[in-house]
Amino acid sequence: MNTQRVWFAFFIVLALTLNFSFFVGEIDNPLHHHPYEFFFALVVSLIATVLKIGDRSHVGAVLLATSLVADVQLIIGAVIWGYAAQEGLAIEPHVMASVVSLAGGAMVANIISVILLLAETIQIKR
Amino acid sequence: MVGFSRARPSVRGAAMWLVLLELRAPLITLILAYAISCFGLVLIPGQTDTGEPYHLSFLQAFYILSYTATTIGFGEVPYPFTDTQRLWMMVVIYSTVIAWLYAIGSVLTVFTDPEFRKLRRHQKTVSRVRSNRSPFWIVCGYGGAGSQLVRFLDTSGMRCVVLDAEKTRVDSGRLSTLTYELDVILGDAMDPDTLVDAGVQHPLCQGVAVLTDSDQVNLTVATNVRILAPRVPVFARSGSDANTRNLRSFETDIVVDVERTAARAIGQLIQRPKAYALYHELVDPDLNRIEAVPIPEVGHWIVCASGRFAELVVDVLLREGVSFVLVSPKAPDPALGLDWIEGVGTEAATLRHARIADAAGIIAATTHDGDNLSILLTARSENSHLVTVARRNRPASEPVFRHGEFSVVLREGRLLAQEMFARIQSPLLHQFLAQLDLMPEALVEGLIDKLHRRLPSPDVELDHHVVDVTESGAPAVVAQLSGETAPRVGDLLVDSARTHPALPAICLLLVRFNGDLVPFPGENLQLQYGDALLMWGAQGVKSRMDWLLGREDVFAAVLADRHAAHRT
Repeated sequence: MNTQRVWFAFFIVLALTLNFSFFVGEIDNPLHHHPYEFFFALVVSLIATVLKIGDRSHVGAVLLATSLVADVQLIIGAVIWGYAAQEGLAIEPHVMASVVSLAGGAMVANIISVILLLAETIQIKR
Repeated sequence: MVGFSRARPSVRGAAMWLVLLELRAPLITLILAYAISCFGLVLIPGQTDTGEPYHLSFLQAFYILSYTATTIGFGEVPYPFTDTQRLWMMVVIYSTVIAWLYAIGSVLTVFTDPEFRKLRRHQKTVSRVRSNRSPFWIVCGYGGAGSQLVRFLDTSGMRCVVLDAEKTRVDSGRLSTLTYELDVILGDAMDPDTLVDAGVQHPLCQGVAVLTDSDQVNLTVATNVRILAPRVPVFARSGSDANTRNLRSFETDIVVDVERTAARAIGQLIQRPKAYALYHELVDPDLNRIEAVPIPEVGHWIVCASGRFAELVVDVLLREGVSFVLVSPKAPDPALGLDWIEGVGTEAATLRHARIADAAGIIAATTHDGDNLSILLTARSENSHLVTVARRNRPASEPVFRHGEFSVVLREGRLLAQEMFARIQSPLLHQFLAQLDLMPEALVEGLIDKLHRRLPSPDVELDHHVVDVTESGAPAVVAQLSGETAPRVGDLLVDSARTHPALPAICLLLVRFNGDLVPFPGENLQLQYGDALLMWGAQGVKSRMDWLLGREDVFAAVLADRHAAHRT
């Protein structure tokens, strides 16, 4: 077992699961979407991106690209949220909806990432 | 080809990937430091002015973090921090600042790493070679011969890519003062990838000159080029007959055996000094006049040499019928019946044995520069009328040989560069040099005299060039070919001024379109379409001739004038 591979897979999967945790719930209800979940989803996504750097194979390049897509989506969501919630955490339902849908986009990218990871793992001959 | 398209990306962008790989750990440290700090700031409650508890938003926390981590420090916003917040801020300050230092330190470590810089430099050169838009030559081996050849090519307006495995030589290449920027690649020329990096498969690559000291390397490079880029001509240096045969066996375009060339030059110098002078004026771009060494008619020659070079010189001198004494540490083949004295030749006693007082000249051609100098100085003190021929082995010894006032100095690197450059420059010159070997000395002498009579003064610098009787080379001549007054060789050699005085130039060789050679064509020989002429004359004649051959009206007038004058 390769420790590096464990951390690699761990962060990729964790990025997806955290993203999903934030995403579930009514799309425009701020009570269903906690900012801490969003924060951790973003941090883990960034770490996953850095871990993917350095693999120069074709699959590696696509993995990196999906991660970058997720980062961009989440960062845009964070900016929108930060801008809209200038006074405390009170947030309009339509802003919440757009942040959650951006996170949903990031989740799609993370799903692709996990699928690629699985595909690569399955290809390895024992 | 497929194999290479797969191998290519391994070099492209490799330097950037190396940086990114090194940066993985510092980046993750930075992200974690930021994330923990940021989260802590949000979690820890603060107090407003009125004493009510509040939490920083992520936006505020990230803002505070941004100016704290970068040591800018705008202060405590939006309200002064509580002591708990300040306690956490200390953790934030130290962890993030240290994380930044770590990241910046890692980047600097990568950038200052010599291997990394080498890689980047290599990549830069490779990409410059790849985007090259002018024709270029690849020169493998930047030693005496290599640097000389590069200089010759540079003055003739040809770019070069240099390949060498030795760092000091590569550095000297980067420092060279050439017209064109020299692309220098540090690497093993035997490695096919290095050759590809040097641009051997580039459509504008004109050829590869392999000039390293090792036959093994030269052979490998020549074969690799044959396979990687079959259309690219290969000019290779060879140090032995077996290697020469080997190189020729797979159609290496030009193989130059320096020792053989030097031996041939010695033979030519002794038996046909004028031909030797003409040969060297033509092949050496730095030598622009006929410098014939006066060779005494009587007297024998003393040859101080050893090893293969001694054998080659003996061979040439026997063939040329020169009487000589061989001074060498090892006995020659007794079957040859040579006049042999054992020794190096550095001692006066040895030279006296070789009857130096009656000798016409001495050839100091050992492989040691110090010995050669010593031989010649001793010889000169024994007989001051000697013709002295010195062999210079190391380029570093050049200053001593230049100031030594020897009749002839044979520089191997230079000979090699000359031989190759003459053949790179024009195939016509190559053909003429082959003809020159067969010409009697009297003919060559007459030819030189003919040119000298046309020169305004004897010390005019000489040059040669090629005229092609084609639409692009000489449109005015082509236009007249079908006319009544067919142009002749002599019509090209006149000035367009009123009386049409002859230009200070002569035609050395005419090659017909079908390949027929006409050495020293008469001035009345009619020109045909596709003829190529090798012209030799004063420097600057080329531009005047080109002007005349490019102007149809002027050339027609000149032709009519000359024709009329001819009839009357």
